Amino acid sequence: MSVRITGIGIVSAIGLTVQENLLALKDGRTGIMPFSFRNDNKTFLAGAVRATNTDLRKELHIHDQYVSRTALLGLKAACEAWQNGKHCDEIRTGLISSTSVGGMDLSEKFYSAYLHGNNPDFEILRMHDSGSTTEKIAVELGISGYINTLSTACSSGANAIMLGARLLLQGKLDRVLVGGTDALTNFTVNGFRSLMIYDEQWCRPFDESREGLNLGEGAAFLLLENEKSIRFSGNRTLAFLNGWANAADAYHQTASSPEGKGATLAIQKAIEKSEISLSGISYINTHGTGTKNNDLSESVALKNVFGEHMPAFSSTKSFTGHTLAAAGAIEAVFSVLSIQHQLIYPNINFRSAIPETGLEPVTILQTEKPVSAVLSNSFGFGGNNSSLVFSNHE
Amino acid sequence: MKFITAYCHLRENICSVNGEIVSMRDNDSADSWFKQIYKEQEFAYPKFYKMDVLSQAGFLTSELIKRANPGLITDYNDDEVAMLFANRSSSAETDLKFIHSYQHNGAPSPSLFVYTLPNIVMGEIAILNKWYGENLFAVLPGFNPDFYMNHCSILLSADSEAVLCSWLEVTGYQIDAFTFLIEKKGEKSIEFTKDTLSELAELGGQQNKNYANY
Amino acid sequence: MEDLKEELKKQLIEQLNLEEISPADIDDDTLLFSDKGLGLDSIDALELIVLLEKYHGIQVTKPEEGKEVFRSINSMAEYICKRKS
Repeated sequence: MSVRITGIGIVSAIGLTVQENLLALKDGRTGIMPFSFRNDNKTFLAGAVRATNTDLRKELHIHDQYVSRTALLGLKAACEAWQNGKHCDEIRTGLISSTSVGGMDLSEKFYSAYLHGNNPDFEILRMHDSGSTTEKIAVELGISGYINTLSTACSSGANAIMLGARLLLQGKLDRVLVGGTDALTNFTVNGFRSLMIYDEQWCRPFDESREGLNLGEGAAFLLLENEKSIRFSGNRTLAFLNGWANAADAYHQTASSPEGKGATLAIQKAIEKSEISLSGISYINTHGTGTKNNDLSESVALKNVFGEHMPAFSSTKSFTGHTLAAAGAIEAVFSVLSIQHQLIYPNINFRSAIPETGLEPVTILQTEKPVSAVLSNSFGFGGNNSSLVFSNHE
Repeated sequence: MKFITAYCHLRENICSVNGEIVSMRDNDSADSWFKQIYKEQEFAYPKFYKMDVLSQAGFLTSELIKRANPGLITDYNDDEVAMLFANRSSSAETDLKFIHSYQHNGAPSPSLFVYTLPNIVMGEIAILNKWYGENLFAVLPGFNPDFYMNHCSILLSADSEAVLCSWLEVTGYQIDAFTFLIEKKGEKSIEFTKDTLSELAELGGQQNKNYANY
Repeated sequence: MEDLKEELKKQLIEQLNLEEISPADIDDDTLLFSDKGLGLDSIDALELIVLLEKYHGIQVTKPEEGKEVFRSINSMAEYICKRKS
């Protein structure tokens, strides 16, 4: 059984709208640039969204100053996917968002002021928790039914999509806005640096010389609707979500197992659920962070599943950076666009394959190959592995 | 029908399994409350000491449930037990410690950063038990029986055969951990309904208050 | 050198949260990362990198360097002395 996707919205380092993101993907233009936080002289490569909080607040008509960047990014993408949807009592509506940092960008400012005794404003902390980001979006869009926030690290966005699909198919909701959002923070930059997996150079997913990830920020949402809701909204179906799965790796808190067990299970079960054959998968949008560990482990998992018949694959994190909780949702939107526009995106910065597996991603934009089904992987810390399968048919 | 076949409460002052108190906090001890329980219960998993408070609470309550219900290990394949956890504060307690490490202590601590995601507690339990099933962590305004009912029903109608659930709210001043096991079998156990779950959830608070009154 | 080794043992225990272990339990040649030794893992290795910087002002920039340096208390002490001279 599949679920219809009738709306998409996205904001990332390569664009503030779906159209802008699509153009950048077609042009092979990365959004990862030298970046530094205000009042900080340390510069590093990151996929920052090209909009200040002031810009975002203005565009979204938000006057409350206590709104975190995570919530602003989320709201921007959610509005685009929501398409000014109307409400009616018979259509049960939900919102499932996800985040890792929540209002951390504000909390960092609070904590600094707090430590220095600089009149810390405790009001800021109201926006810290992950739930308040979701609630802000719900309030702005008038959604009051089922509201939930997931937090499962880098697989959060994919898990939100999976949960939304299940609620629809179980008949608990008629339509649901699902996705994730995360803003760049000192917290996460420091964190990944301390794990020594932050690359000083542009990240090179699946490349032999890869040294780590570049962080990114952004948000993406998808609108999932059942037929009853579609009759009400009149929205067109953009693509279908046919398969999904989540599995644990049970190996390490932050590293993936060498044999890619959790990833293999997630990929296999998602494809099984979709009832699409292995050879029916046209393109894989990998998790591909550019770390030594993930890219090897994911390659092993892909080989476990596809053997010698590897579909075309690439990582779009060399465009957007690793957007943490938003990644699963951002890459879901890219998967939908891939099907809509028959595109297979290049894995920029790739030169030579990982010696242990020899797998080579796509390096030039493909427009001639038919794209009917896409597998999207999102693997999170804590061994939380999720895979989604999208296609152009029920 | 589904059943609550084992449950464990961990609060500021007491730890109880299936309604029976197994540990009471000794305020004079040099050890932290969680370490006291670990030692008293004679667990043998040194990695416990490296965990943050959220993971320690998850470890203790899930291990106590395993002891009370050994079938959890023997009756299921390694991908049939799902985990469904939630709390209000996410990993806020450890987040603050991590910020402190780089703003105040000179360098960001990798071992703290590892625990700045609430779902790591499920990762720890999966690693310990070699469980490859589904894991979900939600951040909610408060304990909500409907959340567990809805999601257990979804998980059990997919590939999962049992669900280890937990409300794990552990912050600087509050410990409210309620872990429970939902199985499809268990005719002699408590039926899993919104009312029975709410009642069991409240039991922890009552036991904690009673202890504090000694 | 002996003082440094004793100091390292104490710092290690504190930095890595090694409860139930005292400096007397760690021999100078105990294999830190072996299961038969101290059984440390990859996150501990990263914390040792932080330890070197925090307490001894030495930066290890490549995680791969760590393997040889952190083999035992002996190798750590040798490395510190070498870098400092």
